[in-house]
Amino acid sequence: MIIKQGLTYLTALFLGTGSLYSDAQEISGLEIMQLVEDAQRRTNDSSFNRMQLSSCKFGVTDGRITCAERPRVKSLESVSKNYGVELKDTKSVTITLEPAAERGIGMLSYAYDEAGRDNETWLYLSTLGRVKRIAAGDTDEETEPASLFGSEFTTEDTDTGKLEEYSFNILEETTTSGREVWKLEMIPNEERARKTRYSRQVHYVDKERLVTLRSEMYDRYDKEIKRLMASRVELVNDVWMSRSLTMMNLVTNRLSNMAFVEIYTDLSIDDEFLTQRTLTDAAYRETELEGLRAQLNQ
Amino acid sequence: MSLLNKNVSFILVFVAQASYSQQDVILASDEEDILSEEIIFDDDLFGNVFDEQPTRENDSWLDGLTVRIRQQFYGQVNSHSIEPIPGFSFPKNAALENNRLGINFRFQNSFAPGWLFQTSGQTRAFWKDDYEYKANGNNFDAESRINEFFVQRSFEQHSIKFGRQTVVWGETVGNSVLDVINHFEFRDFTIIDIEDARLNQWMVVWDYFGEESNWSSFINLYPEFNPAGVRGSPFFFEPTYNLTDYQRDGEVLVEVGTQWKKSFDLSDISFMAAYLYDNQMRFEDPISGFGDAVGKKNDYILLGFSANRAIGRLLLNFDLAFSHDVLADSFNFPGTSALASPLNLKKDRLGTSFGFEWAIDNQQSVSLGVQAQKLLDEREGLLPGQQLIYEGVYGSWLVRYTNNLLNSDLTVSSTLQGNIDGNSLLAFLSANYTISDNWAIGASIISISANTQSPLIFFDEDLRLGFTLEYSF
Repeated sequence: MIIKQGLTYLTALFLGTGSLYSDAQEISGLEIMQLVEDAQRRTNDSSFNRMQLSSCKFGVTDGRITCAERPRVKSLESVSKNYGVELKDTKSVTITLEPAAERGIGMLSYAYDEAGRDNETWLYLSTLGRVKRIAAGDTDEETEPASLFGSEFTTEDTDTGKLEEYSFNILEETTTSGREVWKLEMIPNEERARKTRYSRQVHYVDKERLVTLRSEMYDRYDKEIKRLMASRVELVNDVWMSRSLTMMNLVTNRLSNMAFVEIYTDLSIDDEFLTQRTLTDAAYRETELEGLRAQLNQ
Repeated sequence: MSLLNKNVSFILVFVAQASYSQQDVILASDEEDILSEEIIFDDDLFGNVFDEQPTRENDSWLDGLTVRIRQQFYGQVNSHSIEPIPGFSFPKNAALENNRLGINFRFQNSFAPGWLFQTSGQTRAFWKDDYEYKANGNNFDAESRINEFFVQRSFEQHSIKFGRQTVVWGETVGNSVLDVINHFEFRDFTIIDIEDARLNQWMVVWDYFGEESNWSSFINLYPEFNPAGVRGSPFFFEPTYNLTDYQRDGEVLVEVGTQWKKSFDLSDISFMAAYLYDNQMRFEDPISGFGDAVGKKNDYILLGFSANRAIGRLLLNFDLAFSHDVLADSFNFPGTSALASPLNLKKDRLGTSFGFEWAIDNQQSVSLGVQAQKLLDEREGLLPGQQLIYEGVYGSWLVRYTNNLLNSDLTVSSTLQGNIDGNSLLAFLSANYTISDNWAIGASIISISANTQSPLIFFDEDLRLGFTLEYSF
């Protein structure tokens, strides 16, 4: 079973703090990515997301990228809250709304920042009739990159931490999608290289909004194997973020789009909601979710 | 087998209908085309989910409804003969056993703050050559039943559920000695997992969610017993007397139990206690010598403990059960017992189930579960020459391997089940492919080997193939 805790990290990778940096000489690549990571923690904390994850094999029609098959669509609701020292631990609950065959599947994850401490995950399936602990180890450290919800996004794509394991080069200052960006190269060190499928990544970071608008992932032969496109950059709760992320797998010609239909942060979330009770007690869960939605409408 | 061929064609037709038109789309054979700046990418290719303002005003009560329609074909394909008793053999011909359409529904509705209603049920239609079709005089037959049907009220630290539901105890997946609260029905070989065999009962379940630990208690207001085999099914045998439901005659039966559960870092533990009835009734010959067999219930006390421990990608499971005053010969059917006549011999039983689940990687996992039980002082009270059906340590083992491929669209799994005495082995191999968000197909193979010491001798060398086509919405 694949751990899905990384969704909230991915949210943060593609948002910015709203700061303005106009001169590459004043800031290093590492500092840029650290700012992105800082923003991550802001959005993880006490957040409620509703996402639609759509995947298909893609092709080209009239010069436009289109789906060559009926897309697979998953709809998810996720609630997260940070804990621990510097709020680096994350507890999250994800409930599958669609497709019908997976409706009601619930997953509770505790992700710990502490090195060597295993993450904890519990799963609820109605057919199982009970909450079940899942042994998955520390997904960041121990496991191979794996698909998130069967999409082209992988756990590696969602892992924004461990910046010390990379070196950074600002390749150029350019323009993409009409925005001024830093074109930033991210190269894993020897230790990280053993765990990653990417020999390097190139990010296009919006200089004003600190939002990554595009990423390119290269394999060991320096061939681009995946590309991530961000769009619908909006100011959500004083944080710039992309609400639509599309990962194109250039090897399999499949793509996945992650649409953050709703995303809210700084909510008042009861600690008890991030416990096993939320998985088993549907009456409690729905009542609490209604309470969260009520906060959204305020 | 021609019918099976026809059925495969039937599946292919549906798969073709479910596929998406590709006429106007040129598949990207060279990624350089896709990377060209002239190629336009627009994220609205999945429809614009952002156009709709987030609101719940359009939510419908039907949003909580899930329906699954499944056509199933299952057949024994190996023509052979079995010899349950030396010198006495009979042939088993290849035949279709299951040709049925099932409709399952599940509905959940949180109709007021803190309130929830949930129900699920199923309808089965038995087509030509299904064993229930044959048992109905070669006529179409159908059956329906409600599975879950309960109302839940949650407030503060409490949750109370009233209605038809299941209660699951124990950590070991598939064969826990503590998973005995609900009765179950293994009607044929399409159901080999306990998760699919549990039957719901009328209960009140009260959960208390404390800060450090949880309590879960239940009262079963109408304990039921494992149903007898359905006429025509592979498990059906013609008994000397009819096996009926328990004759209550106004008698009030109640089961009660409670479980205390606490989670630690990387571990969960539970203690439980219950007053239960054996799910399997003991049947005795009618006193008059004709009519229905007499079903005898047996009440007993269960004390249990369960725990798990996660170590990296390994999860260890352990269950321990002590049963006080179980019937030594509870599994007794007229004409099949080793006892000349059933004894009202009550004994204590110690049981354990344990195993592990190991996530090889994000796609593959292996699990092992072993169940072992033993009656304490088993010879005490027996007359010379008398023998219990289960003597010494008895139990079962189960190994499962699962591999998720193609971004989890294809799941391949295999299960091996056997008795710890080595008298039988059931090998199950299945592949399920999710075609789209609505459509899925599956295929499975079950092979059985058994010797004369096992009741499964009647299925020795059986080889079953199954296909399913499923649509859910």
